[in-house]
Amino acid sequence: MCGIIGYNGFRDADKVLIKGLKRLEYRGYDSAGICVIDKKLKIYKDTGEISKLEKNIPSFKGDIGIGHTRWATHGAVNKINAHPQLSDDKKIAVIHNGIIENFKILKEDLKNKGIKFKSQTDTEVIANLIKYNYKGNLENAVYSSIKKIKGSYAIAAVCEDEPDKIVGARNESPLIIGVGDNENFLASDITAILKFTNRVIYLNDGEMCVIAKDEVTVFDEKKKKLDRQEQMINWNFKDAEKSGFPHFMLKEIYDQPDTINQVLRGRVSEINRNIEFNENVEDLLKNGVDSINIVACGTSYYSGLVAKYHIEQFTKTPVIVEFSSEYRYFGTKNKNSLVIGITQSGETADTLGALREAKKSGCRTLVVTNVTGSTATRISDAYILTQSGPEIGVAATKTFTAQILVLFLIALKIGVNKNEIGPGELYKHILDLKELSRIVREVLENSNKILDIAYLLKNAKSIFYIGRGVNYPLALEGALKLKEISYIHAEGFAAGELKHGPFALLTKITPVIAIVTKDSTYDKMITSIGEVKARGPQVISIADEDDIEIEKYADFVIRFPSNTRHLSFIPIIVILQLIAYHVADMKHCSIDKPRNLAKSVTVE
Amino acid sequence: MKCVILAAGEGKRMHPLTYTRPKVMLPIANKPILEWNLLKAIDAGIEDFIFVVGYKSEMVRNYFGNGEKWRIKIQYINQGDAQGTAHAIGMVEKFVDDFIVFCGDTIFGKNDIKNIIVKKNSIGLFKVDNPDSYGIVEINNKKVVKIYEKMQDPFTDVINAGIYHFNKKIFEYIKKTGKSPRGEYEITDSINMMIKTKQMNAVFLKEWMDVVYPWDLLDANEDILGKINKKIEGNVEKNTTINKKVIIGKNTIVMAGSYIEGPVIIGDNCRIGPNCFIRPYTSIGNRCHVGNACEVKNTIIMNNSGAPHQNYIGDSIIGENCNFGAGSKVANLRFDKKPISVVLNGNKLDSKRKKLGVIIGDNVQVGINSTINVGTIIGDKCFIGPGAVVKGEIKSNSRIM
Repeated sequence: MCGIIGYNGFRDADKVLIKGLKRLEYRGYDSAGICVIDKKLKIYKDTGEISKLEKNIPSFKGDIGIGHTRWATHGAVNKINAHPQLSDDKKIAVIHNGIIENFKILKEDLKNKGIKFKSQTDTEVIANLIKYNYKGNLENAVYSSIKKIKGSYAIAAVCEDEPDKIVGARNESPLIIGVGDNENFLASDITAILKFTNRVIYLNDGEMCVIAKDEVTVFDEKKKKLDRQEQMINWNFKDAEKSGFPHFMLKEIYDQPDTINQVLRGRVSEINRNIEFNENVEDLLKNGVDSINIVACGTSYYSGLVAKYHIEQFTKTPVIVEFSSEYRYFGTKNKNSLVIGITQSGETADTLGALREAKKSGCRTLVVTNVTGSTATRISDAYILTQSGPEIGVAATKTFTAQILVLFLIALKIGVNKNEIGPGELYKHILDLKELSRIVREVLENSNKILDIAYLLKNAKSIFYIGRGVNYPLALEGALKLKEISYIHAEGFAAGELKHGPFALLTKITPVIAIVTKDSTYDKMITSIGEVKARGPQVISIADEDDIEIEKYADFVIRFPSNTRHLSFIPIIVILQLIAYHVADMKHCSIDKPRNLAKSVTVE
Repeated sequence: MKCVILAAGEGKRMHPLTYTRPKVMLPIANKPILEWNLLKAIDAGIEDFIFVVGYKSEMVRNYFGNGEKWRIKIQYINQGDAQGTAHAIGMVEKFVDDFIVFCGDTIFGKNDIKNIIVKKNSIGLFKVDNPDSYGIVEINNKKVVKIYEKMQDPFTDVINAGIYHFNKKIFEYIKKTGKSPRGEYEITDSINMMIKTKQMNAVFLKEWMDVVYPWDLLDANEDILGKINKKIEGNVEKNTTINKKVIIGKNTIVMAGSYIEGPVIIGDNCRIGPNCFIRPYTSIGNRCHVGNACEVKNTIIMNNSGAPHQNYIGDSIIGENCNFGAGSKVANLRFDKKPISVVLNGNKLDSKRKKLGVIIGDNVQVGINSTINVGTIIGDKCFIGPGAVVKGEIKSNSRIM
């Protein structure tokens, strides 16, 4: 998982590259580097964040170059392993995102031919392979080289002897071309170059491109020239800026009322009293859904767990939620089942692998993702966009909310198709959905109390989150959020499971956050809280406004508006996000870029 | 000689009209401001243009293309970050030698552009009545001494008009230019540095029009419509009256009983009438509808918008894809006849106009029998309910019931 950018135009390349890398930092940031062609290849790289690189970098003259921000996969984090990597004659520089599976064999082979290696990276192997194949034309050399490579890659290469072009290629790693005026770009994603252009050409697996100053050429895997139309991206740059909030994460939490509207727009029709998706999705959900497999990783996995409760409740269809990396190799692939993949970026390698595997076994596949044109949308039978705009904070907030809401709509839709939900009931749901945005806004406006709670939690060593039913995956997600950004150990449990083991870890100084909703397990939840209290910890309860009873059992109560019925999971998740954020903020953690984490994980 | 036109600005003071288009694409007499400037520069003899674009650059590019339609060459440079005029001009370093450059959102005259072309190392200057609103220029013996930021009680009425003739030398000074107090790289700072070693000639302009606020477009519209010639390409039915200079575009139907008093321009594919009254200084875009018993006066109506039934619209600007419900009307004069003030982006401004109706963004629906008060601003995608009375500043996406 890394971010790459290439620039060929009229501006100072170093400035463009660094600006772009800063936008790509969410893709990984343990080291970074750039290479600018100023007669010779001038390289500067360093470990740490881009801002450090920017501070120390000497000024390069040159209007063509490539840059890279790394999230280590092969080799330790140090200057030598940072990209760009040079060939041994220092004439070819390469940046790379992905993993080369056969790099050991290739490396041995090249070593036998007398080529010396400095780093432990697979990227240096590519650089030398290109050098070995180089006979005066860079694209031919890259072409011959990628034929030898097995694995995933998005690469960009420059050569000292041909200082007027960058050659790019991709396979199973993201790479786009930005088309400008008198300038062109290569990047892992659009945010890196949106300041300069919003015209994009998507490269497909196996394709290659040559980036000149005034021309872009795309080749297919047989080196045949392709005629590719550019697409206009309508993401406003400001969408990706912080709009006045101290962190992207907080901004994104506060974006959620809008996110909700965007998810519902065009899909929930009060007039038709129906849930509407595009044709492909409608067809997929219409008939013969016997069982559903949900495959996802990380936070998306938790959104799958939330969905499991809704789908099973509304449709009486069994749902199995599995980690993509497990399903891919071990999951039961039943032809009659619908496989729903959830991936925010649409590039999560494990989920893509699982979807491909499902497809191979004849399953129908549906993807829930945030990114148009991403690989996931192209390899599945149908996809639903969560339409939440770019999310810069590494910890998923609004995209999670959008995911669980989209999945909720899917659950309703299947329920209607299976006649498990009548028109009257559906209409009730629709009216509730229409209120949702307002409810979340209310939660955000009345969130001062959460600051007090955060103050209470910030010195904890370990925190428990408990819930039952749909609140159980919410507990998991709440704990994950806290872990990710505040570095406090946190664990989510099904409340009923506490007594089967976790109680052993419970001490007086372990705060417990209990999610309580007025459903069939309310009494059981109260019992669980009682059990916890008996062992001494403080209990912070998240409960609805009308729940007076809870005051007797919990030490602190955070309220969300009542009458949310089935949709209580949305205000609750917002509260959990705010708890995590404020705790991390009070601890002065690097909230938008937690240590060791990357936004979208494109390695397996 | 290359001509660089700065066309990257968003024009925040032109909200709500610039939410959906860059400032240079605002229409005056059915052509974007930038096209008027382009035409003037072409008339002045220029064939090679560079547009420095930024905000919603695709709209500029889609409209002008490579310049074939005007038999000229247009190149584009994207400014990237909007960091001021010096930054914008600095972008073109690798593409020009001796060149003229001006702001695409100010309207210049053909002869003035010619004079600038002829005079190397020059700055265009203009005398105004209200120099306290502009950067002023101190001159001595036809040479520029210094350009000042806008100030209270200025010592001269000569202002910097925003048109220059430079050579490569300017880029040295642009690189040395630091950020101004408002956080931008200003070309005036670069020029002030350059003047110390290299003289800049003063060229006084005869025509110059600055459009800052939406209502300034009405003045510019009036000015340009004042110079048009009659041209009727549409289909005009019997029993219509067309007085003075009126342009009617292709496939436009003007139905019986319509009374049009020029100067007026009506675009292509419109439906006008029957029985409507279109008064002087009105620009109506393409595919618009002005229907029965409607009166429109001194107004800009952009493409695809309509005032179909019993409407009055005066001294107003209507964005694209808007519709007025039957009977809805716009007030354009205070009873006490005082200048009309407007709230724009939350700031109260004096429009200095006695008559001003409404400024409406794109995609606004105005319900039947609703009333819009003087100096109202309505954002994009608003929904004004039936019978509503609207005033002040209405944010985009609002629903007024």
